[in-house]
Amino acid sequence: MSDTIAETPTVMIPDQKDRIARRLGRRHAAEKRFRIYGIVAIGFALAMLAFLLTTIVWNGYSAFFKTYVQIEIHLKKDEIAPGGRIDRAVLAKADYQTLLRESLIEKYKPEGRRARRRLTGLVSIGAGEYIRDFVLANPSVVGTTQSIWVPASADIDQLVKGGIDRNLPETSRRIKNDQLAILTRWEKEGRVETRFNTGFFTQGDSREPEQAGIWGALAGSFFTMIVTLLLAFPIGVATAVYLEEFAPKNRATDLIEVNINNLAAVPSIVFGLLGLAVFLNFFELPRSAPLVGGMVLALMTLPTIIISGRAALKAVPPSIREAAYGLGASRLQVTTHHVLPLSMPGIMTGTIIGMAQALGETAPLLMIGMVAFVVDIPGGPTDAATVMPVQIFLWADSPERAFVEKTSGGIIVLLAFLITMNALAIVLRKRFERRW
Amino acid sequence: MNYSILLLTLVALSIVGYYMGRNRARVTADGRIDRLHSLPSYYGTNVAIWVGLPAFILFAGWAALQAPIIEGLVFGSLPDQIRMTVNGDLLATAKMTAAQKTLFLNNVQNIATGDIASQAVSDDVRRAAAHYARLRGLSFMMMIGAMLIAAAIGAFFAYRAINPTMRARNTVERVVSGVMLVCSTLAVMTTVGIVLSLLFESFDFFTKVSPIEFLFGTDWSPQTAIRADQVGSSGAFGAIPVFAGTLLITVIAMIVAVPVGLYAAVYLSEYARPKVRSTVKPVMEILAGVPTVVYGFFAALTVAPFVRDAGNSIGLDVASESALAAGVVMGVMIIPFVSSLSDDVINAVPQSMRDGSYGLGATRSETIREVILPAALPGIVGAVLLAVSRAIGETMIVVMAAGLSANLTANPFEAVTTVTVQIVTNLTGDPEFDSPKTLSAFALGLVLFVVTLCLNVVALRVVQKYREKYE
Amino acid sequence: MNEAIAAVGGTAETAPQAPPGLKFVTRNVCVFYGEKQALNGIDLDITECEVTALIGPSGCGKSTYLRCLNRMNDTIDGARVTGSLELDGEDIYDPRLDVVQLRARVGMVFQKPNPFPKSIYDNVAYGPRIHGLVTGKAETDEIVHTSLAKAGLIDEVKDRLQEPGTGLSGGQQQRLCIARAIAVSPEVILMDEPCSALDPIATARIEELIDELRENYTIVIVTHSMQQAARVSQKTAFFHLGDLIEYGETAQIFTNPQDEKTQGYITGRFG
Repeated sequence: MSDTIAETPTVMIPDQKDRIARRLGRRHAAEKRFRIYGIVAIGFALAMLAFLLTTIVWNGYSAFFKTYVQIEIHLKKDEIAPGGRIDRAVLAKADYQTLLRESLIEKYKPEGRRARRRLTGLVSIGAGEYIRDFVLANPSVVGTTQSIWVPASADIDQLVKGGIDRNLPETSRRIKNDQLAILTRWEKEGRVETRFNTGFFTQGDSREPEQAGIWGALAGSFFTMIVTLLLAFPIGVATAVYLEEFAPKNRATDLIEVNINNLAAVPSIVFGLLGLAVFLNFFELPRSAPLVGGMVLALMTLPTIIISGRAALKAVPPSIREAAYGLGASRLQVTTHHVLPLSMPGIMTGTIIGMAQALGETAPLLMIGMVAFVVDIPGGPTDAATVMPVQIFLWADSPERAFVEKTSGGIIVLLAFLITMNALAIVLRKRFERRW
Repeated sequence: MNYSILLLTLVALSIVGYYMGRNRARVTADGRIDRLHSLPSYYGTNVAIWVGLPAFILFAGWAALQAPIIEGLVFGSLPDQIRMTVNGDLLATAKMTAAQKTLFLNNVQNIATGDIASQAVSDDVRRAAAHYARLRGLSFMMMIGAMLIAAAIGAFFAYRAINPTMRARNTVERVVSGVMLVCSTLAVMTTVGIVLSLLFESFDFFTKVSPIEFLFGTDWSPQTAIRADQVGSSGAFGAIPVFAGTLLITVIAMIVAVPVGLYAAVYLSEYARPKVRSTVKPVMEILAGVPTVVYGFFAALTVAPFVRDAGNSIGLDVASESALAAGVVMGVMIIPFVSSLSDDVINAVPQSMRDGSYGLGATRSETIREVILPAALPGIVGAVLLAVSRAIGETMIVVMAAGLSANLTANPFEAVTTVTVQIVTNLTGDPEFDSPKTLSAFALGLVLFVVTLCLNVVALRVVQKYREKYE
Repeated sequence: MNEAIAAVGGTAETAPQAPPGLKFVTRNVCVFYGEKQALNGIDLDITECEVTALIGPSGCGKSTYLRCLNRMNDTIDGARVTGSLELDGEDIYDPRLDVVQLRARVGMVFQKPNPFPKSIYDNVAYGPRIHGLVTGKAETDEIVHTSLAKAGLIDEVKDRLQEPGTGLSGGQQQRLCIARAIAVSPEVILMDEPCSALDPIATARIEELIDELRENYTIVIVTHSMQQAARVSQKTAFFHLGDLIEYGETAQIFTNPQDEKTQGYITGRFG
């Protein structure tokens, strides 16, 4: 043993020092490279996020605006009220769309059916409703000629907002030259305006892009989330409390625990299949209803709430429980009086995050028929409805250029909700975070 | 909606029971609460439970069982032969197929609830519908009666049992913990429900298509013909191209997500200053919070055309629904998943390992490559497995950006389809419930569930073991 | 960090050249963790090929001082070192000095045995490999064997070099860590309470080893155990609340301490 020690030099041999020094450059270059890889990776992720968000905002902000045109329309008395009687019931039933069309044709006298269709295609199919509202608000205008602001058609809307290039050759442009000429004239006369699109927030879905709104989907999401919350929150909290505070440590509770962890990682679409097979086919609950959607999403959200709830309960120190037990409180009293209130912020945070996940979920809802085209605003959890992400999916599937804008606009609204929810969760955590 | 009024009534009755029970407890103790075994509110709660719980269980059972019973009664009361439509053929009731039964029932239900039936229906159907409506009404009345009787009996006994020595608190706590136990079995029930429903429908599918063909066939075209004599009417259900497509997109996603996520995690945990870390980390988490439908839209609208144009400009033939576009976007979605899991894993490596390596004069990158990553390897493998399971199960991105046709190819520029895409397309629209096309979705769902479950179980095990090692 | 450089620069000129036989010359060493000052101006010389023991109650700054000697404090966020520290007359905190090179010259053994989760062989070969001291298997084999031999571990592990280092007993693990440190042939070995996690028999084995290693290496050891300091060291420094109270020959410190506090500590009145 002492032999080997004697053989080795006391200090570093100069050769060794050199060897280390010679390699230093290479090693530091490798170090720098490695560091750059890390920065590049983070840069890539952040760039993709920025790219994603800018694409959405770039395409979507215009969805919050809508083009209106001012049309001179002769409100012919004999067409609005053929019987001569002017009362609300008659006024409400009249065909204003045709009236509008006739006024346009009389004024610009297009030749041929196609030219006529192009002319009337300048205004929205829903324009008639605006005229009706105008007339109903002031029935004395019947028989006169009025200038009324009505929404432009989706193509004109796109053109005015710059979504369609005016300088393209006519053949590859959706707006033809004669339409463009009239529009230019209107613009000169100040008859074209872009206003805030309130309809986007107050209307249901529509086949016509300029009429389509997100309100129906918002209402559907609302009812779905209510059902999800009512089911998932109490059941999730009860499960978390049971497993953490009451359950004996045995095979059965182990099984439940493993089960919950695995359930958290089951693809969401499988929950949709479960909903389809069990809720729709076996229990024969209504298709496309927020009730079923909410039940499916509740099952999907449960593991998130349970896992975060258990973490929050675990964070309450045992001394609190011991103090309460020491005063003769029963297990349920200890839990409901002390442990649960103390862990509530944590449980709420987990619940909000779970709900945010559920709000953005699409796939399982496709399975239970929430993908239907629903125009009416749902009034309750059993009405046919769609939800925001599914609405976005439906719009994204529509071929018209104008729906790209709607899709992005819908995404902005959805993201706004999600950001609000997550911010709320963060605030809650920051505000009530307790260090024991 | 009648049901919700009924349930609200029940809740109201329970509340009344609570106050009555509490008062009676006070009265029996002559106003001296210390003579009671439990606080008066427990006596009240006890009464409330006895009013509400049995009636509610009755309600749940009734609601679940009434549909099949009523349907059975309706079928039982049918004449031997019926017509579905006014001019339809006579059908022998005993020999109706499942599809005919479903159609018949749908018509009956639609008429009974006042909705318009899909076709002109025969008198047979109308008669059955009237019978059905009568039975439903009767059932509802009976249910109300039974619930009220149950509530009354419960209230009577619970109320009478109140006396100072009664252990109301213990009873209440037993019931509460029982309810909690039931809640916590719901997770197990969900799993059982998933397994049973998938198995059940898949079994149906496998009676029509052999499992061998499904698992090993290489031709997937699930369209079944409208007419029996149409060309290719049978449909082909060899799922290999679908599995291969899923695998291809998953591999592309992993090629993006694993290095980026891992390097990001390493940089954030080993290099970044705390300030940088605490800002960059939550920003990266935003990527995980973006709904998948948004990624799908992004992939279809922006990335896929970009990939196609870029490919075309260098002379490659790229499909507009290329696997590459869907895979890359999916990878981006999974980056934060990989990075936050790896971050946890890397942070679990004890500081003493780093000290040992730095103490020998290793640079940071040498320490990371030679010591930290090998030490964290099991945990990272677990994280990657979880990410793979996530990628396989991801639906919206591929539904919106990947193709529908099942190509058996390893070329990332071609369009492929995935398991989840096929599930969605075969089940949306107007599914006929017993066509092989619809049922194939459940078979695919079963495969998806089994594969992801295995991945999850293995991954969670590995991560668990790894954590135990350093705790 | 700028302050540190300025301070180092300022004192470097006035600092006396290290007399032969002194490995480290340190003057006015202060360490701050954020706002908190952990060391208040330590002046200490460490003699070559001797064992210097740093003793004192917990939190007195002895480990902090030790970690200055190979700049391990760099790895702690917010740690700041000022003053002058010279190794063979070279300023350790000179920004031009490569910390990698420094740590190859000043090795370290830690409180808890921390073998890497690799084989015994790879644990020892790690240092020589990263520093490029070995080329080829034969050289690596040789350096692994001699290092293990010097650490007195070779007989116990020579048949299972490919087994994981974490499978060894605590004492063996610590000797493996020592072998790992001497594989890069450092000039100095810093030991931070190397025996605190070990049983008495393993401790005795390590102490024996330290005594053998003294022939070739300068050793600085932080220890909680005064008996250990008395047994293995030639010089002893007593730290208290971030100050160096007393420094001298071990025998003198233990038999005839000059300072009251030292006396109080070694007689067990506080600590």
